[in-house]
Amino acid sequence: MIPDTLVVEKGVSAGDAWITVAPANAREALSALRDDGYRLLVFLTCVDHLADSSRQWPARYEVVYQLRNMETLEQLRVRAYVDGDPPQIDSVHDLFPPANWDERETFDMFGIEFTGHPELTRILMPDDWVGHPLRRDYPVGGEVVEFSEEHETWQTAPEKA
Amino acid sequence: MTDTETTIGQGVTITKEGQTGAFGGEILTVNFGPHHPSTHGVLRLIVDLDGEQIKRLKPIIGYLHTGIEKQAEALRWQQAVVVTDRHDYLSPPINNLAYALAVERLMGVDVPPRAKVLRVIMSELTRLSSHLVWLGTSGIELGAMTVLMYCFRERDTILDMNEEISGFRMHTSYIRPGGVMADATPRFLELLDDFINKMPGHVDEYEDMLTMNPIWRSRTMGIGILPPEDAKVLGATGPMLRGSGVAWDLRKTMPYSGYETYDFDVATSDMCDCYGRYLVRIKEMREAVRILRQALDRLPDGPVNVDDRKILPPPREELETSMEAVIHHFKLFTEGYSVPAGDVYVAVESGRGENGCYVVSDGTHKPRRVKFRAASFVNLQPLERMAMNHMIADMIAIIGTADTVLGDVDR
Repeated sequence: MIPDTLVVEKGVSAGDAWITVAPANAREALSALRDDGYRLLVFLTCVDHLADSSRQWPARYEVVYQLRNMETLEQLRVRAYVDGDPPQIDSVHDLFPPANWDERETFDMFGIEFTGHPELTRILMPDDWVGHPLRRDYPVGGEVVEFSEEHETWQTAPEKA
Repeated sequence: MTDTETTIGQGVTITKEGQTGAFGGEILTVNFGPHHPSTHGVLRLIVDLDGEQIKRLKPIIGYLHTGIEKQAEALRWQQAVVVTDRHDYLSPPINNLAYALAVERLMGVDVPPRAKVLRVIMSELTRLSSHLVWLGTSGIELGAMTVLMYCFRERDTILDMNEEISGFRMHTSYIRPGGVMADATPRFLELLDDFINKMPGHVDEYEDMLTMNPIWRSRTMGIGILPPEDAKVLGATGPMLRGSGVAWDLRKTMPYSGYETYDFDVATSDMCDCYGRYLVRIKEMREAVRILRQALDRLPDGPVNVDDRKILPPPREELETSMEAVIHHFKLFTEGYSVPAGDVYVAVESGRGENGCYVVSDGTHKPRRVKFRAASFVNLQPLERMAMNHMIADMIAIIGTADTVLGDVDR
């Protein structure tokens, strides 16, 4: 059972149960939940709350873990709010194997650094990509179209892009 | 990374030249794809080979990344349906359904019974067409050329039905928050009835060609073993999990859209190999036909959309007589509707496994975040474990029966 001291806040959103934990305790809390029967990590992702006025957010990035207990069919969403440059949180790839690629994707798209991940590299974008596309301050249509004329100038002089 | 390895980027290490394998030969690193006919799209694999045996396999993905999640954030709630079609491009209505259910749950909307049944009909037709593409292409990869012709014949009938009901053959955008795009036409119901009557015979035809076919059996039996405990821990879903003997189907375990009221069996196989996954998909096709028959028989009369002018536009004829209808129409198509702040995760069972949609709203008329939980993305990760120590030709069978759609992997 997850100790109450780890839970900062809990609630239900549109029928989905969730808890919030401090980012420093996220790994400990997820480990406790895993031993509690939540063996499957359905997905791991991040939400960027930049300029989100719907409520007061503890930090800009919200790392979301969706857990499922396949025996009791219970689901639980674990949130951890992280800030900083780069934002950091402990990796859980050894607790939940599907987290390996999910964490790489979250790093690629949001720039969250998962400390302890064995190969935290870009997974969807090319290795030499600059920026993290799913951040809210990354513009849609801001990227240069490959093999176009702009792309050639961009390749030779990346600082002008 | 050990001293016998060297890195080539994207987190991938390869064995350095000059390493000797178990048979005395040199271990060879081979690049496979991204443009290879058997990779179901643009999957690139770096394979270490000792003779013909696979000693290491690293998938490199991202070649079909289209930024669908980013695009969804830039679109209004009702427009984002269109991008959901395109990530798993073999099962658009099922992706629509995950998104629509998520948005509806945030708004507290429940769709009319006829819409629910139409959603089930479209989901099952899509599952059939997705499995037909899988069966045909897997057959070609393993040398059974004929089966593709038969599979695409039936798939074309399904695409004709898609066209009849929505106007589109592939990316239908048929299921939308608040209901479905349009009511089923009488011709659609005729086509569907005809299809349901003929389909079991067609599945028998596929089985005649493959199930007892000695080449097919020797290419798939005992290949790509995934034990049930591993499959569960690795997050595999859909036929990958059921082919390992775990009776997990979201339509049964966590039903949505009225699936709990249909009588159908969850297809499983204890063989845990490529042949088991083939048997599961064949069984699923038969069960899909059963569900379709029940859905068609019970299809209730009534509206197919919620009667809420804040979410869906008024009927065309009201625009000529009602001022409110014009205002609603204008508001809906210039600003869209806003969804109460909050987040929700809805999972549906697609042909490939659990395709979910995690939607976050900040109370405005555009989503804050739309995350697609792609079954293919997760099902691709056990590939190395399944292909280890097999011949390189068997890897084709393993990739094939994992049934990954690269659009779904890369989104």
